[in-house]
Amino acid sequence: MEFGDFLKGASEIGKAMGVTLKHLRQRPVTVEFPHEDIPIYPRFRGRHELRRYANGLERCIGCCLCEAACPTEAIYVEAAENDPDAPLSPGERHAKVYEVNLLRCVFCGDCEEACPTEAIVLGHDFAMANYERKDFVLTKEQLLNPGMPKVIIRPE
Amino acid sequence: MAEHVTLTINEKEVSVPARTLLVDAARLAGVEIPVFCSHPKLDPVGCCRMCLVEVDGPRGTAMMASCTMPVGDGMVVRTDTEQVRKVQEANLGFILLNHPLDCPICDKGGECPLQDQTMRFGQGISQLIEPKRLAKKHYDISDTIVLDQERCVLCWRCIRYLEEWEDKPQLGLFERGNDTIVDIQEGRPVDAKTSGNIIDLCPVGALTNRVSRFAYRPWEIERTPSICMHCSVGCNVRLDSRTHQLRRIVGRENMQVNDQWICDKGRFAHGWVNDEKRLAAPLLRKNGKLTQVQWSEALAYIAGKAAGIKEKYGADAIGAIGSGKISNEGNYALQRFMRGVIGTNNIDHRDGGDVAALPTGLPALAELMKPQYGPDPQVDTVLLFGVDPSEELPVLDLHLKRAILRGGVKLIIAHARKIELTRYEGPYLAYKPGEETQLIDSLTQAVQGTAETEGDSAARAAAGLLSESEKALIIYGPMAARGEGGPVVRLGLEQLAQAAGEGTRVAYVGLDGNAQGCRDMGVLPDRLPGQFPLDDAEAKARLERLWGCTLSGSPGYTYKQMLDSQEMRALFVNGANPAAESPDWAASLDDLDLLVVTDLLPTETAEKADVVLPAQGWAESDGTYTNLERRVQRAPKAVADPKSRAAPDWMIFTHLARQMGAAWPFTDVRSVTEEMTWAVPAYAGLNWEALGDQGRQWAAEAAPAPESTGRAAAGVPAGASEEADYPLSLVTGTVLYDSGTLFGLTEQMHGMAHGATVTLNPADAATFGVEAGSPVTVQSDQGQLEVTAAVDAQVQQGTAWIPESLPGAPVGALLNGSYTQRVRVERR
Repeated sequence: MEFGDFLKGASEIGKAMGVTLKHLRQRPVTVEFPHEDIPIYPRFRGRHELRRYANGLERCIGCCLCEAACPTEAIYVEAAENDPDAPLSPGERHAKVYEVNLLRCVFCGDCEEACPTEAIVLGHDFAMANYERKDFVLTKEQLLNPGMPKVIIRPE
Repeated sequence: MAEHVTLTINEKEVSVPARTLLVDAARLAGVEIPVFCSHPKLDPVGCCRMCLVEVDGPRGTAMMASCTMPVGDGMVVRTDTEQVRKVQEANLGFILLNHPLDCPICDKGGECPLQDQTMRFGQGISQLIEPKRLAKKHYDISDTIVLDQERCVLCWRCIRYLEEWEDKPQLGLFERGNDTIVDIQEGRPVDAKTSGNIIDLCPVGALTNRVSRFAYRPWEIERTPSICMHCSVGCNVRLDSRTHQLRRIVGRENMQVNDQWICDKGRFAHGWVNDEKRLAAPLLRKNGKLTQVQWSEALAYIAGKAAGIKEKYGADAIGAIGSGKISNEGNYALQRFMRGVIGTNNIDHRDGGDVAALPTGLPALAELMKPQYGPDPQVDTVLLFGVDPSEELPVLDLHLKRAILRGGVKLIIAHARKIELTRYEGPYLAYKPGEETQLIDSLTQAVQGTAETEGDSAARAAAGLLSESEKALIIYGPMAARGEGGPVVRLGLEQLAQAAGEGTRVAYVGLDGNAQGCRDMGVLPDRLPGQFPLDDAEAKARLERLWGCTLSGSPGYTYKQMLDSQEMRALFVNGANPAAESPDWAASLDDLDLLVVTDLLPTETAEKADVVLPAQGWAESDGTYTNLERRVQRAPKAVADPKSRAAPDWMIFTHLARQMGAAWPFTDVRSVTEEMTWAVPAYAGLNWEALGDQGRQWAAEAAPAPESTGRAAAGVPAGASEEADYPLSLVTGTVLYDSGTLFGLTEQMHGMAHGATVTLNPADAATFGVEAGSPVTVQSDQGQLEVTAAVDAQVQQGTAWIPESLPGAPVGALLNGSYTQRVRVERR
């Protein structure tokens, strides 16, 4: 009885060690971020961006549909009328204020779906850590000028 | 014809009154029929064809427009068949043919009947591949309304509203067929005073609000049922707010007050609510300069100073001015403070003790609306005496027009100006300010038949109408009953009513939003809350018991007396601006030991104050207001500025009373409302919950009778020399679009404001060598004013018309506290 138990225990340990030894030969899955880059999928949903048309006009028309679609009320839009001589967007209406609260956002992508002009998109930037709470509220200025995030896109 | 007819709608039997339209019958039966052109408040036209239903007739089943089809006995109607569905789909397809579908940037998006019906009854796909018709987009048809012709579905609602209700057909259809568009006449913008209602009526986003453009989305706003306080009609409105800001005002239905219409001032002039000029912190004068302080410091200063003045000069050296723009609660607390804590009756408001009013206001607004809705008219003749509803009470104007056009009501107008309503048939009786009594006397004599009015056909016609009528209503306003001559005018009108016969009633209408409530709350020097005279022992005992104090029995000073008197040492001014009304008053305010101004915005009076207290407006705190027909209505809190330290008026005076050693039981605004219902017997039971969304009218029988002092006529006819020096009689009054603080802060409406002009009759203008647009100086023996001249036959010969509160042209400079004045006009 005792010997049988011993053998059973040893085989279990052996099995477990086998798993460990097998993984010794594999490369680690963790990445030394931020010293190393993480390849992400093309449809990865990261920090929001507001797009422009090729002629420089903002795509956003301030329709507030993203705000309506947002399940966590992370988006705040305030619309205003375009100055016909210096329009910010095509048509009569543009977004005077466009804010995304990253602390509230769950990156579901419903805002992208709702947008009739494909103005708001979730980009690839995921390095969004900050020191101040107020810095987590992205302004329209920040959203329009997202910069180039240091990410590698991997094939799907 | 039978009173009720029975018909079958979708296999269900319904019984409805005869002559009901099919579409309304279906609504009563709980069956929805989609409509665009049909509207319960407008005449049927049947142009959108959306409401087609199947009706079985003698020649088989046919598709009928249910909005123009009256019900018939035994009619068989089906609204849910395949045929009806197909027709609806096709019809929507045609309506959408030229609709641009720019819903994301359309202000109607989210509350658009076209959107909703396309989702419910539409095909779901578009078959259109051809380009859409192009037309004018977003152009202004007035300073407050934007028209988008591409979005228009040609339902005619706007055209019909302006024709049927406003009687000003300023919009029309142009071109034909596919090119048909709604437009204004070239260069003639819509200027009807209630034109904003066409925005609410529009079933698509063709007509949108210029002031609130892109400021709201229907799904993100909070909706607060409230009332409008710009005038005393007390229209029911809805305040739409977001992020502590008032974004939009729309009309709310109340069939006792405003139907569902509101005027443009009430709809658009709300810019002041969130204006950055609003007072946000108490200010105390330190070293000659108003400095921001804490509430505690400001209140302690006032309490100490007021107690000192009371000790040194007596309680009657302190006075207070309430306001018809402030809630019942604020006014009640103010007069309780003056009567209970200070111990004086020196409390009044503008158009308060100086005006000979009647305690009960209009019998009921619904009686004037009645001719259009019911077969039982309560009023058949209206005499407007010194009231101009078009400028002062626009929704009453709307009701009157409807009553005249549809109810056959006869109109008689007595006014110093040929007001807009004189365009309707009926006698117009002109008088010059100060000569009201003579006119009333001659009218009364004509009605009695004692004197032959020589040659004056208008007076004869008016007298004829009054004596013929069985249910006449005489409405007079403060302009006709101010000052010494006021009681004589009131007495004269009462005698006229008696002479005209049994059914004739006289009604006084105040102009400010809470003019009636101010009187009910006892913001009068000679009346206690409930409008009881000061010597009414029962009322006095009740209030003394309620307030735990003894009340002074001697009448206080009126508004004018307080400002004229040199004996006043301290003045509390709430929501009033006497400094702008008269240079003499402005000077006497400087001489006060203590001037406390409680207001929303910095005014000329606030600049002179020792302490300025920031108050909350009607949208920011709960309050009740009483309109011109004694309807007590709620105005709940809709917005709150988190950065502002402003407080509601009742709270300011509760704290002040506490500082001065009185323990008031008020913990919140409800407790003030509750106490009002005990202090004013007519308000018994009218607490916050009981008022509900539609308000409640207090019973006119509950009001004490007005004192019948028949003082002798005090109107002093101008001497001959005065007439030579100052040949014109000055006519003043209220215009809707003045430059008062509550209107002037809505930037979009600046173009609509009445200019700084003096208007003269063409004959007078020719005499004085003045043309329209020429710069002139208007001079009275009190002062002078530099304005531009305008010429209009609306102004009668021998008078000069300058409205109150014009930009940079305070007519008070000429009046200087008096009510009538003679002026001369000279070219500059």
